[in-house]
Amino acid sequence: MGGFTKMNGLAAKRGYTYRLTRRQFLVASSAAALAACAPAAVTPGASGSPSAAPGKELKIGQLLPFTGVYAELGNSMRRATELYLRQNDQKLANRPVKLIYEDDTNVTATGIQKAQKFIDQDKVDVMMGVVPTPLAYGIRNAVHEAKMIFIDTNAGGNALTRDTPDCKPACKSPYIFRSSFSSYQISFPIGDYLSAKGTKDWFLAYANYGFGTESKADFTTGLKKNGGNVTGEVAPPLGNADFAPFVTQIKNQPTKNVYSFFSGADAIGFIKTWNQLGLPAAGYKMYGAGFLTEQDVLKEVKDLANGAITSLFWAVELDNAENKKFVADFQKQYPLLPDVFAVQQYDGMRALDEALKKLGGDTSDKDKFSKALEDVTFKSPRGDFAFDKTTHNPIQDIYLREVKTTGGQTVNTILDKIAKVTDPGK
Amino acid sequence: MSPELLFQQALNGLSFGALLFILAAGLSLVFGMMDVVNLAHGAFYMLGAYVALTVVQFTGSFWLALAAAPVALGALGLAIEPLLLRHLRGRHLDQVLLTIGVSLVIVDLIGLIWGREVRSLPFPPGLDGTVVLIGGVYPVYRLFVIAFGVALAAVIAVIYRRTKLGMLIRAGVEDAEMLGALGVNTDRLFALTFAVGAALAGLAGVIAAPVFGLQPGMDVDALLYSLVVVVVGGLGTLGGAVAGSVLVGPVDTFGKVLFQEFALAVIFAIVALVLLFKPTGLLGRIRIAR
Repeated sequence: MGGFTKMNGLAAKRGYTYRLTRRQFLVASSAAALAACAPAAVTPGASGSPSAAPGKELKIGQLLPFTGVYAELGNSMRRATELYLRQNDQKLANRPVKLIYEDDTNVTATGIQKAQKFIDQDKVDVMMGVVPTPLAYGIRNAVHEAKMIFIDTNAGGNALTRDTPDCKPACKSPYIFRSSFSSYQISFPIGDYLSAKGTKDWFLAYANYGFGTESKADFTTGLKKNGGNVTGEVAPPLGNADFAPFVTQIKNQPTKNVYSFFSGADAIGFIKTWNQLGLPAAGYKMYGAGFLTEQDVLKEVKDLANGAITSLFWAVELDNAENKKFVADFQKQYPLLPDVFAVQQYDGMRALDEALKKLGGDTSDKDKFSKALEDVTFKSPRGDFAFDKTTHNPIQDIYLREVKTTGGQTVNTILDKIAKVTDPGK
Repeated sequence: MSPELLFQQALNGLSFGALLFILAAGLSLVFGMMDVVNLAHGAFYMLGAYVALTVVQFTGSFWLALAAAPVALGALGLAIEPLLLRHLRGRHLDQVLLTIGVSLVIVDLIGLIWGREVRSLPFPPGLDGTVVLIGGVYPVYRLFVIAFGVALAAVIAVIYRRTKLGMLIRAGVEDAEMLGALGVNTDRLFALTFAVGAALAGLAGVIAAPVFGLQPGMDVDALLYSLVVVVVGGLGTLGGAVAGSVLVGPVDTFGKVLFQEFALAVIFAIVALVLLFKPTGLLGRIRIAR
């Protein structure tokens, strides 16, 4: 096991988080030392409280990818976690925090093992993280049976927060919360919105894997609500290198409005090829789920994405006090803009913090803990944040954004808002 | 499929095939000469792309990157062969294992130096436009990739058939031991071959970067495709690399759009079919076990 810890330590030090990690380690350890002294001096009467008592170290197990294609998502979520702790004296409520990171290496089986390690060996108080949906589904039962509070800070598969027949491929649990989104929230409202505005015919392009096909299905349902119609589709495999064959297909069919579900490298490939093959000049218009034009993509494609209309529950440019502070603090700490993954993780930490404050830091009763999380509401960088008590999925506004380049900066400008979108899970 | 669409997709397939040729030529060369399946080939390709990214960032010149990346990778290959591979000569499986280790080290170092974000290289000025062809506009860069692939194949063919170096390589592929006995310095020849293989991988990395982008995992994709090409075409021959890439590129392109559900299975179906009817690959030689 020593080997595992060592490897994980190495993984954690990769990238430009290395320097920051060391500095933060010093801050964290000195804060922990202070915290260890302070409560002892101030609250001598704390004896007799349960093991998960106020003042005792709170262990958070973070299951994230630090290697493989999603490594940068893991890094971003790690930055957000550490930013939140730094802003709060390395404490949640009255408990100093110990973070334990594990790298899922983008292999579902490895991720499941690491989750089991958090439960059996590290005996963490809370689990957070998980980028791919298959991993979230894979650890669902273990988490549920261990009554481990788990805040999913990314994976968007609908089933994780729904009541499904025979719990296949997963189902909701009193102990599972989600601070990110469900596929439905990203796709159904926008399909509904666009068809209600009068654009009925759509061509679809989506990455052929779980999230892509689920989003496509929800978007289509939204369209059909107002008589919308899908005229055709292309579905490149996830991580497809060459987009020319697919964009050529799009260009040789008559439907000009194209809705797409791509992120990261796929999104960059799609947008560049779209321009290379001259689709804007031919009158084609690009729409998509927000990940298509997030920071990681925009900083590489820049004005090539201009005019693309996408929907998401957040944007760097969102005009509210919490977001401005979040973006400013993040940039003070790290040499880059925060992305949506950072927001999801940051809100997960905030929700946890708020719940612990209500419990006075006592995490021993998991049912009380779950109840406290259900009641959490706060102002997030994305707007008002609350968990839906039925599903534990966030109730959130969805923003319609258009990519524009002004003064050399390519950004998502907010066009409209679809208020209080709730997952229809029972 | 309309004739225009057919034509455009054929060009897409050919340009993908041309890129595959640049990528697979190095792998095939090294195998033919040294009997080593170099599993670090994908990592070399990835490193070439990242070197190009840095060169373009500092100088703004794609063409300089196109020269610098193969040189850098060639130098790396020239160092790796005598330092690592040579000590395991004759132990082919151990050499293959060693190349896996080399690839892991390179990929992790890339993550450490360049980070793990998704990156992209802009198209070189002059090649970023489109030209009007049958059925509409087509990107100039993709035509450039086809031309580059054809030119490279021609250059390699001339070196192979008409120069002393080519003669030595052909002789080495037949029987390296005998070549050594005739007084040729095979150590130097092997190091040079490995360096050229690495340089070709780096070159492919630069050419591919504007189209495919740069991201963690690109090494595995490149390795997989280049293995498919050399297995289909026939291991260790230039003609095999050409045949393999001209077949795999278009089949992959048409397969992806015609059978979307089986997009990833199509190329492996070709491998299975070819191996079933021609176990040595399309233009493979029967190797004498040594």
